[in-house]
Amino acid sequence: MRSGLLRAGVVMGFFLVVLAIVGPTLAPFDPTAPVSPHLAEPTSPGAPFYLGTDDLGRDVLSRLLYGARISLLVGLVAMVVTMAIGTTIGLAAGYFGGVVDTVLMRFTDVMLAFPGLLLAVALVAVMRPSVWTIFIVIGLVSWTGVARVVRSEALSLRERDFVIAARAMGATHGRIVFRHILPNVVPTLIVIAALSTSGTILLDAGLSFLGIGVPPPTPTWGRMIQEASTYYRVAPWLMAFPGLAVLYAVLAFNLIAYGLTGEGRGVR
Amino acid sequence: MALVVCMLLAGCVRNDPLDWPAREPGSRRGGVLRLAGPDDVPTLDPALGYDSRSWTYEQHLFETMVTYDDANQIVPQLAERWTISADLRTYTFALIPGVTFSDGTPLTAEDAVGSLERVLDPKTRSQGAEHYRGIRGAAEFAAGTTPHVAGLSAPDATTFTIELDEPDHLFLDKMALMFAAVVPAERARALGDDFTDHPLGSGPFMLREWRRGERIVLARNPRYRRPDRPYLDGIVESAGVNGELAWLMFLSKELDVSGIPPADFPLVMRDPAATGTLVKGPTLVTSYLGLNCQMPPLDDRRVRQALNYAVNKQDVIALLNGRGIPAKSLVPPGMPGYTNDLAGYPFDPERARALLREAGQGDGFTTELWTQGSDLDLKIGQKVQHDLGEVGVTLEIKQVAWSAFLEAIRQPKTVPVFDLAWSADFPDPSNFLETLFQSSRADANNHTFYASPAFDRLLARASDTADPEARNTVYREAERLLVDDAPVIFLYHPISYVMLHPRVHGYTIHALLPSRYTDVWLDPEPASPR
Amino acid sequence: MRYLAQRLAWAAVILLGTTAITFAILFVVPGDPARVVAGPRADAATLATIRHELGLDRSLPVQYGQYLWRLSHGDLGRSYATRQPVATTLVRRLPATAALASAGLAIAVLIGLVGALVTAPLAGTWLDRAILVASLALLSAPVFWLGMMGLYWIGFRWRLVPLGGAGSLRHLILPALVLGLGTGVYYARLLHTNLQEVLALDYIRAARARGVAPLRLVGVHALRNAGLPLLTVIGLDFASLMNGVVLTETVFHWPGLGRLAFDAVLALDVPMIMGTVLLSAGLVVVTNLAVDVLYRLVDPRIRLE
Repeated sequence: MRSGLLRAGVVMGFFLVVLAIVGPTLAPFDPTAPVSPHLAEPTSPGAPFYLGTDDLGRDVLSRLLYGARISLLVGLVAMVVTMAIGTTIGLAAGYFGGVVDTVLMRFTDVMLAFPGLLLAVALVAVMRPSVWTIFIVIGLVSWTGVARVVRSEALSLRERDFVIAARAMGATHGRIVFRHILPNVVPTLIVIAALSTSGTILLDAGLSFLGIGVPPPTPTWGRMIQEASTYYRVAPWLMAFPGLAVLYAVLAFNLIAYGLTGEGRGVR
Repeated sequence: MALVVCMLLAGCVRNDPLDWPAREPGSRRGGVLRLAGPDDVPTLDPALGYDSRSWTYEQHLFETMVTYDDANQIVPQLAERWTISADLRTYTFALIPGVTFSDGTPLTAEDAVGSLERVLDPKTRSQGAEHYRGIRGAAEFAAGTTPHVAGLSAPDATTFTIELDEPDHLFLDKMALMFAAVVPAERARALGDDFTDHPLGSGPFMLREWRRGERIVLARNPRYRRPDRPYLDGIVESAGVNGELAWLMFLSKELDVSGIPPADFPLVMRDPAATGTLVKGPTLVTSYLGLNCQMPPLDDRRVRQALNYAVNKQDVIALLNGRGIPAKSLVPPGMPGYTNDLAGYPFDPERARALLREAGQGDGFTTELWTQGSDLDLKIGQKVQHDLGEVGVTLEIKQVAWSAFLEAIRQPKTVPVFDLAWSADFPDPSNFLETLFQSSRADANNHTFYASPAFDRLLARASDTADPEARNTVYREAERLLVDDAPVIFLYHPISYVMLHPRVHGYTIHALLPSRYTDVWLDPEPASPR
Repeated sequence: MRYLAQRLAWAAVILLGTTAITFAILFVVPGDPARVVAGPRADAATLATIRHELGLDRSLPVQYGQYLWRLSHGDLGRSYATRQPVATTLVRRLPATAALASAGLAIAVLIGLVGALVTAPLAGTWLDRAILVASLALLSAPVFWLGMMGLYWIGFRWRLVPLGGAGSLRHLILPALVLGLGTGVYYARLLHTNLQEVLALDYIRAARARGVAPLRLVGVHALRNAGLPLLTVIGLDFASLMNGVVLTETVFHWPGLGRLAFDAVLALDVPMIMGTVLLSAGLVVVTNLAVDVLYRLVDPRIRLE
């Protein structure tokens, strides 16, 4: 059963990656150009605009296809940033223990107590709003869960025979961490990475929805939902499609994570 | 014991219905106007408010020496008459005798003096202080070296005199701003920042209740100096109702007044009468994209002109559901005593490309639009972005918070293009031309850093001209120069549309001020209980 | 007792840390709080006056020191934007957010319990699998999007709930549901898995052998043990719940703390930002503390050391 979920997730994810790569060439229109003659009056789905047009007269399908690339990119890169920060802090805290552990984990507690979205808003204000800012900000906001899990793994690995043996043989800390601890954390890391990707895609969409995501004209799914919110009674399809797109992408990575473990415990 | 229970109940049951005096059947008097707003009214302290939401309520609670009629002409309010000395430096107001604040305490010229001193006092942190710094002794008072402003005096209870350092043909207009409203000076000073919670004025209404985040309630001021006004018993505004929700409440007859959301506008306009009474009116507002005249390549006039030709203003207005007229110049049409028949910059991408080639920018360039990013700003920004892209100019949109935006546009050579609208403080062209483009105002509101000696000379000549007609002629000449130099991309002048419940009468849209409810009256309700 | 004192001390340190970090970030943010107070039209002189009156012309450490000093006297300062005391505003906005958050949490726990109990006997069937995929899909939908879809269908098309705003229980239903739904299905899956593990344990088999009714078996014996890890998760989740609150309040125009804090950040209303961050961090810390203590009370195997 679990492998079934995993397979479904991998297939969905693969399709998403393909779409992100070839999507723009499939797009029937320029995603930023007004192609419908109607401004401020979205047109409903129907040829040649299969998913309709928005209030700026742009083709929703083309925007969705272009948006796939940016959403996936943000999801994956921000995931890498999140993992890098979280793993480093988690490994350091778990492996060294003692004062290092206390200081790092209290810092993690402080960051956990922070309202993450507000932190993100403030950070975006500090840096220039761009794709790069979004990568870093999401990483800075969401590493705490990763750090906690990695720490507890490292904490138990530290007491294992092969680590103690390596230490007795005079191996450096760096060598022990990278040769003995890290490889044993990798299975957990893969699960966290999948969950983290779905988390970052959602967070990116949330930031865009609050109007502080990747700046226009880059079509992002979150911003498409936000722009459609004015028209939700008159043109509900405008928000329905990008929302389903986010759901699809997030579901793909959640399926992978759940397929790998059964339940992605600890991190969400 | 029973008493205690009653008191406890009174303390708990806070959502009591408000009781209003019974209305005489058939009369125009009576009824409560039901409004809604997205947020709380920012403030009710006239020394502080500088936005239309605050002014909406302040102008019903307080009065100024003079105000504007519906044609934007100055008319008496608290002053029954006034004299201006020949050198335009001494203003003397004769107050209507016997006026009281809504609690019955007399309103005197001393209060008028104290009200302006409060605005000038640094402790008040008033945004309006700058308008009154021309009063003699204002600087010494602000510095704390004198206890009173030398140029303000009250020889008797109904005489209020102001002396200025320099002649100022706009000073009477400044006395119509809400900052100059008369408050009970002693009480306001004592309350400080809390005056906004306990405002007391001489206006047609008084504050009945203000539960922040819930509602604000005004009731008729029984001591108002005009016994025949206001018609309404009161005004209730529910807070936390966004435009969308307000419209739905309006449709279900829970509100008397509402704007029309963009999504519904096209449908509603096919038959406005089916929904209610439609009121529309122009505003003294100009929406534009400022161009930093110090930052290459925008320092080249031809480039700025090219950008103006490249933008399709009709499309921009279409995004507003047509609720605007294209801006051909800066001063909005309808400015009293002033008209300009400039051609402006019609949509002409060919001409734009030619001008860019001429300026050596034939290959295009990349620049940055800073916006504080409301929904509409971003939509218009993306439209402009597309239009400029068609002539080879890449416009990146940088969305920043309002606070950062205000700070950045003030820095030299920081913000190449920014999106802003200016609404008139006074019905006078100088409030656009001088305030926004005089070279010496680079530390205030000249965010384009436009500096033209010829333009400055014309402004100086205008402000030295006492005759209004002659002055406006000079302003017209100055504006011709300005439009030709194109320090901004002229976009549009908005038009206000408001939908009224059919029972509402006497509601007008004022070009300069928020709508006034003093003359608004409601159809008598059917005999059924409310 | 010593344990509690120690935890409280750490809680204080964490709160202090959040104030320091917030303060530091706010002073790197481009923008001038005095400018916000002064409004777009004020000239340089007005601006300078306001900056001085607010003490913004002093150095960062001095300003932070002054803030902490006032804080230690219970003074959160006044909002730059509204000039209202921050504490008053927080107290006024707290009930709306508390109602939303606790209703959301209650719905989440309810969905979690009911979902787990319903799916427990289905374990391994195709129905269970379908429910799992459906749960994952719900988990994968953005909260704000669920909110908007809910507004469209439940509010606008079916007219079952008001289209936003606060005031009555009917206003609360949809926002709370949206907030709690994703978390709820997550809890349900978590509890479901835990139940499967616990049901396989010896003491449950023994109880079953004794003839304990199946419902009682699952509902009382198994759930008690399976529910324990959930408690921790709820504690950890509280912070992410606050994120959901910001988005939910935005969608539904709910007049709570989330929107207040968000607007304060955009307006650089420093005292208000500090107040909301402190309150939110305080809630997180207190919840975690409470969960910890509760955990130790429920499970006597863990001693309060």
